[in-house]
Amino acid sequence: MPARTVSGWLRSSRSRALLCAAVATLGTAGNAHAQVDVQEITLSNGLRVLAVERPGAPTVSFVMQFRVGGVDEPVGSTGIAHVLEHMLFKGTETIGTMDLRAERQLFAEIDAVQDSILERSDDGPTSGGERERLEARRDSLEDAARTAVVPNEYTEILTRAGAQGLNAMTTNEATIYFVEMPAARAELFFALEGDRMANPVFREFYSERAVVMEERRMRVDTNPAGALFERHLATAFREHPYGQPVVGTMADLQALTRPEVEAYYRRFYGPSNAVLAVVGAIDPEDVARWSEEYLGAIPAGDRPPGVSTVEPEQREERRIHLTWEAEPLLRIGWHIPASTHPDGPAIALLASILTGGRTSRLHRRLVTEEGIATSVFASTGPGSLYAGLFQIDATPVAPATTAQLEASIYEEIERLARDGPTEAEIERIRNQVAAGSVRRMQSNLGLAFQLAESESLFGDWRETFRVAEDFLHIDAEAVRRVASEYLTATNRTVATLGREESGR
Amino acid sequence: MKRRRFVWGLGIGLLACGAPGAPVAAQQPDLRARVESVGAIPIDFEQPEVLRWDVGGVPVLALPDPALPLLTVHAYLRGGYGRFDRSHYAAASGLPALLRYGGTQTRTPSEVDEAIEGLALQLSFGSAGGSVTSTLNTLAENADAALELWGDMMANPGFDGVEIEAWRGRQLESVLRRVDDPARLAFSETNRLLYGDHPVGWEMEPADLEPARVSVERFDEVHARVFCRDNLTLGVTGSLDRSEIEPLLETLVQQLPLCSRPLPRAPDPSIRRAPGVFVVDRPLAQSVIVMAHATNVRLADAPRYYAAMVGNSVLGGGGFSSRILSRVRTEEGFAYSATSLWTTPARHEGIIAATTRTRPERTADAIDVMLGTMQELTEEPPTADEVQRTIDQFVSGFVFSFDSPGQVVARQMFYLAQGLPEDWLNRFWAGVQQVRPDDVLDVFHAEVDPSRMSIVVVGDAALIEDKLARFGPVQRIEIEGGR
Repeated sequence: MPARTVSGWLRSSRSRALLCAAVATLGTAGNAHAQVDVQEITLSNGLRVLAVERPGAPTVSFVMQFRVGGVDEPVGSTGIAHVLEHMLFKGTETIGTMDLRAERQLFAEIDAVQDSILERSDDGPTSGGERERLEARRDSLEDAARTAVVPNEYTEILTRAGAQGLNAMTTNEATIYFVEMPAARAELFFALEGDRMANPVFREFYSERAVVMEERRMRVDTNPAGALFERHLATAFREHPYGQPVVGTMADLQALTRPEVEAYYRRFYGPSNAVLAVVGAIDPEDVARWSEEYLGAIPAGDRPPGVSTVEPEQREERRIHLTWEAEPLLRIGWHIPASTHPDGPAIALLASILTGGRTSRLHRRLVTEEGIATSVFASTGPGSLYAGLFQIDATPVAPATTAQLEASIYEEIERLARDGPTEAEIERIRNQVAAGSVRRMQSNLGLAFQLAESESLFGDWRETFRVAEDFLHIDAEAVRRVASEYLTATNRTVATLGREESGR
Repeated sequence: MKRRRFVWGLGIGLLACGAPGAPVAAQQPDLRARVESVGAIPIDFEQPEVLRWDVGGVPVLALPDPALPLLTVHAYLRGGYGRFDRSHYAAASGLPALLRYGGTQTRTPSEVDEAIEGLALQLSFGSAGGSVTSTLNTLAENADAALELWGDMMANPGFDGVEIEAWRGRQLESVLRRVDDPARLAFSETNRLLYGDHPVGWEMEPADLEPARVSVERFDEVHARVFCRDNLTLGVTGSLDRSEIEPLLETLVQQLPLCSRPLPRAPDPSIRRAPGVFVVDRPLAQSVIVMAHATNVRLADAPRYYAAMVGNSVLGGGGFSSRILSRVRTEEGFAYSATSLWTTPARHEGIIAATTRTRPERTADAIDVMLGTMQELTEEPPTADEVQRTIDQFVSGFVFSFDSPGQVVARQMFYLAQGLPEDWLNRFWAGVQQVRPDDVLDVFHAEVDPSRMSIVVVGDAALIEDKLARFGPVQRIEIEGGR
């Protein structure tokens, strides 16, 4: 039901009546965000819709974000959110099928064979090729079901209508679908999205699961930086699910079944857990009307309970080396509070002072002056909602070692923690924030991403603008203090990759 | 501003995308009807027309954009590494980086960095085989200072010795790391195999980075050949009007001399003709496959060119609607991505290529599927629906070609530099709509032959080599680099 204040953005009594009838609740941007006229609509099932009408080319960007991601996955089911991201492109009860009944009959058989495969796995190594036989049977049944499938029809309808950049991504805390459409055909997005949310069919499940395994091989198993990232997080987070890979472990992916994925979808991918941002050449009244018409009747669903696990305080440095037939890489992470903590803006500013641009401290020293690194980059992550890491990724230049990079990095951090940044450094970042506030408005899709993320994760789209404003109020002492408090030796986890543990 | 109006959208048969004669699901007839009706709504828009004038003999293309207080200026110069010989490869490749990092004759590198970051500029330099580009984005209120700095960097580079040495160190490191990325390795080895000693086939080697080849004098020499007025085209978008921007551009252009002599264009390649199967042995959990052979379709306003573009989309360039991705990924679950590419240079031969990544035990199977899919299109035309679907994708997405003023101006600059007509995009839009299934068959039949493919696989030889032998004798490529 209505959750936001009704205010006066509506331009006519007719449109007011229309939207009231649609059970929409509307709000307005405050003066601080006058440049972004965000219209807010909350449907009775809880779906929050943000609409921004902008001049320019007749195109519209859509971002649908669900507040469910890697951290919400049950133990033993890593990767389920990411697999779901893939499966929602497989069509619905209407789209993608020529004979839904025939498909569903085969699904039951396929699922039964998969259960048998998993039972054999529990007994240890299978003998006599039984597992292979069962897998072949499962794949054969899926091929039979495929004869009733119209392959990739959902994607094809949209791209044929002019959609660009149709894609999705899964993070630790969200699953995000996005596309851009010619404005004239924007209604098509609502019609298909409503059907997709209400009536998805998880067809071709096991072949798509194999696709996801290939994605893991590409991003992690054959990618030094991806492998290092995964191992580093697993070392830094022993309790919190930030230590689990969003793409899933291979073992968990192999055990994932269609019924398990479908049940997870039915529970957490409802409108009450979703935000839709629409930005472009579109009338917000149309957005409100189509949202209600196509998305308003979908059952609300549950919201994930959130993560109650708190990562225990780290009391000593942790180190890990990943032996890999590759040139060395370095990754360091220090535990920090969640981004919503009062120290969040100062920590973000700290990252900018250390590696934001060529005049930043670490770039100047490691890349320019000493020439011992090709790149050095500080960030916070892997998510935003929970206590995470202040991360530094650096790549040494031969013959420099990761140990040399570490020593220089720690020296610069100690200097910053002792003396703090200069006013000139703070001013440089304020200038960049001011310019960034204008540049962020250049892209409809970029703005839609920002609005959806802030509303989905923090409950208010204005958060994306507040963060920029908060930067302007951080002083040098605040940056010095967070460097001193969080970037300590006992609080860090260091991961290296290469042929030798010596770092070269 | 002059505009041209475009309308597209008659008769898009959204329901025809299943198998011919396939029954349409009856579960939600309203949805299907709605999808069809909305999908057929005409896309009606006015195409913005770019303004053009000259400053000091340099063409300027402009499109006002008053929406935000920003100014963006693009510079396009003839002069990538492909226009120089191998002894200048490193300097020509490194020129963009050293223009950005190397300071000017009156500003140290640090002073340039501080000015860029103090003004919060976005400033980039880049290059391709035949061109160097640079783009400046600034708050409009800083336009004077920003253009003065940018002009100084382009016209009076300092090529600071410390920065050259740091860049050289990064390049040597990049040479070492080439083997760490199996996809980069596969593509560079394929280019080297097909193009040999031609700029497309060149891969940076330590010998290219010998100090004498990246000296200040060598950078000065390359810079003088590229950064002269006759090579330059400028593009402008933003909130300033012509009377405000023209004096700034005039000052910038006057800093550059006229060119002493024209740069030669890159030589025509002699693309490898012999087929083969090549393996780069890396102990990986996933193989990277690249296959390619030469073709003779040229970029031109000609039916054959449009047929090749539509045909490539049907084959593998059209995403999920294309045959290769549909089979390799959707049906078989072999790979996360699979695609095809058909390059069509205007002046010389190009290639048709396909690529994917899959687990070792499916490597040969995936190659089979890709070769078989190509073979089909040399024997039978694509269905009328496949061709129409591809045309619909091209044409319905046409409006996105005008999504931002910067995109429109940058494209027009490219056309001008390439000698393409100003209305090339509109010709393309019209040309693809004329393609019929038999046109695709004709161009595939004449140009594509899976048995001529050079197939390069980066993967675990012990696990894949035996099965690869069915495509021909397997040859190992030994890789230098790494340690």
